[in-house]
Amino acid sequence: MTNLEIGMASFPVLLTLIFLRVPIGLAMFLVGLFGLYFTTGSFNMAFSRLKSETYSTFSSYSLSIIPMFLLMGHFATLGGMSQSLFKAAEAWLGHRKGGVAMSAVGACAGFGAICGSSLATAATMSQVALPELRRYGYAGGFSTATLAAGGTLGILIPPSVILVVYAILTEQNIAKLFLSAFVPGILAAIGYMITIAVYARIHPDRAGTARERMPYPERLRALRDVWPVLTVFLVVVGGIYLGVFTPTEGAAVGALGTGLIAIVNGGLNRHSFVESFMATARSTAMIFFIVLGAAFYNGFLALTQLPQSLSTYVAELGLSPWMVLTVILLLYLVFGAVMDSLSMILLTIPIFFPIISALDFGMTPEEVAIWFGILVLIVVEVGLITPPVGMNLFVINSMDRLTPMIETYKAVMYFVASDIIRVIILVLFPGITLFALRLLY
Amino acid sequence: MQKFMNNLSRFMAILGGIVLTALIILVCVSVLGRTLNSLLHSAPVVAVLGDFAKTLLDAGVGPILGDFELVEAGVAFAIFAFIPFCQITGGHATVDIFTSMLPLKVNRLLQMVIDIVFAGVLILIAMQLYEGMLSKMQYRETTFLLQFPVWWSYAASLVAAVVSAIVSVYIAIIRVGEFFGNRTILAIGGADH
Repeated sequence: MTNLEIGMASFPVLLTLIFLRVPIGLAMFLVGLFGLYFTTGSFNMAFSRLKSETYSTFSSYSLSIIPMFLLMGHFATLGGMSQSLFKAAEAWLGHRKGGVAMSAVGACAGFGAICGSSLATAATMSQVALPELRRYGYAGGFSTATLAAGGTLGILIPPSVILVVYAILTEQNIAKLFLSAFVPGILAAIGYMITIAVYARIHPDRAGTARERMPYPERLRALRDVWPVLTVFLVVVGGIYLGVFTPTEGAAVGALGTGLIAIVNGGLNRHSFVESFMATARSTAMIFFIVLGAAFYNGFLALTQLPQSLSTYVAELGLSPWMVLTVILLLYLVFGAVMDSLSMILLTIPIFFPIISALDFGMTPEEVAIWFGILVLIVVEVGLITPPVGMNLFVINSMDRLTPMIETYKAVMYFVASDIIRVIILVLFPGITLFALRLLY
Repeated sequence: MQKFMNNLSRFMAILGGIVLTALIILVCVSVLGRTLNSLLHSAPVVAVLGDFAKTLLDAGVGPILGDFELVEAGVAFAIFAFIPFCQITGGHATVDIFTSMLPLKVNRLLQMVIDIVFAGVLILIAMQLYEGMLSKMQYRETTFLLQFPVWWSYAASLVAAVVSAIVSVYIAIIRVGEFFGNRTILAIGGADH
């Protein structure tokens, strides 16, 4: 077997392991380990890489942003910020048809601005919004679908853990990626609200009753209660954009700020402090084990020259770049329905990114890298709400035992449609994603 | 035994969390110091404060020297310390739509094999980390700014890596017991992130 063949053979092996429920990080690690063995003829190289690679992966300054953002998200969850965000959104949107559901989406967007995780956003907002939606007569499936979709805003609106990983894999600037993710994130929130309005027209019986209209003084008062969240977001994201501090420093400032707010709000005592450590520990260890496995696997792939050969091959096929992009995005949609988004990014970007970089989209390489990153971010997030196995759907449904899964499935398809329309728009008009970047840099 | 392993994993996770919090505070203090430092150098502030600005600067108001070296060393320890809790609560990301169709017995067999291999990998990682530490000791490698020996950070991470290996061996033994004894001792949680 040539090295290239070993590289190609590693894919089906890896997928088989993953489908046999081997933890994804472990599967990549094992395939990388044995792949190195088969390409070099011994374990020497693999073992000597291990001497420093585990430590250097875990001690990465740029990756240290991840546990800090995760801790920040858990502090935000405990600090009662979801409650005030939802109240504020409700004051402004609650009187519309489908307004309480729109408020949930708005609050998710706000929470996403301080939390980089979809599942955490979905779970936190559900605790606040599900009872309220039920009180106003929204159908169970529509409520859970709304929150599952709203949860994806946690990752679409920066800070976003997945974008950090993408930035490191492709050697792009994290601040520029965050900046470019902002407009598509807002578009996502608006798209979901339009979806709710459409759904409410088609199924008026399921979209509950509207709340009474709030007078403006009261609306402003509700808005005043969300200032801590706004401040944290502006300081963290603004500071990173303006170059006042590095993304890691921004994450540290955000985590400390959110923690202090949570303490002031009385949400953080010794017990909940420990709980947020536990939750951070679990997800951090999970993420870094995947990062480690992927580093090992990708090191092996690079040695087989597979990514380079594949990208040369695709470039020489002479296909339209847009065609290649469409196929890649479709692949993400399909895989996203069964696999978790971070693993998917780590697994595929080292292969797809060289392919995309070798194609001519009429933009600078950096613009292509950022635009592609945002598109990938969106399509993998669609996977989180795509039946049958979208993770967000499971999380929300486990919080609302009264609603059968099939009801959530039916309603969530409207949101999936909205996502797909948005992806098509962003593919056709790269300027929407890139204009903020072109304006500021 | 199960209680001990649970407590050990929780203890490591809390320890890692405390280190992470300390790093967060350290970075914030450093950012604050740097901001004040450049403020004190700016013309308007110097005009108002006069010599006091210089006194403050001389007193050492500024960024913390080598803060990112401490972040790197600390976060490596924290992540290693987080692994045991993730292992014992089954927090790793998996795809289980295909295996959920298989009978329980087959799933127990799979889980046993997976956890034995996982234990092997974590032992390997700890052993190679130890080797790495030895070579850092041998070459007396120090960090660039703070000049502390790199093997110190390796040693801290090694402690946590050894605990991870011990906990994962314990889990593997449990899985063997579950497979042959036909009962569930340690439930597997889903991934949350």
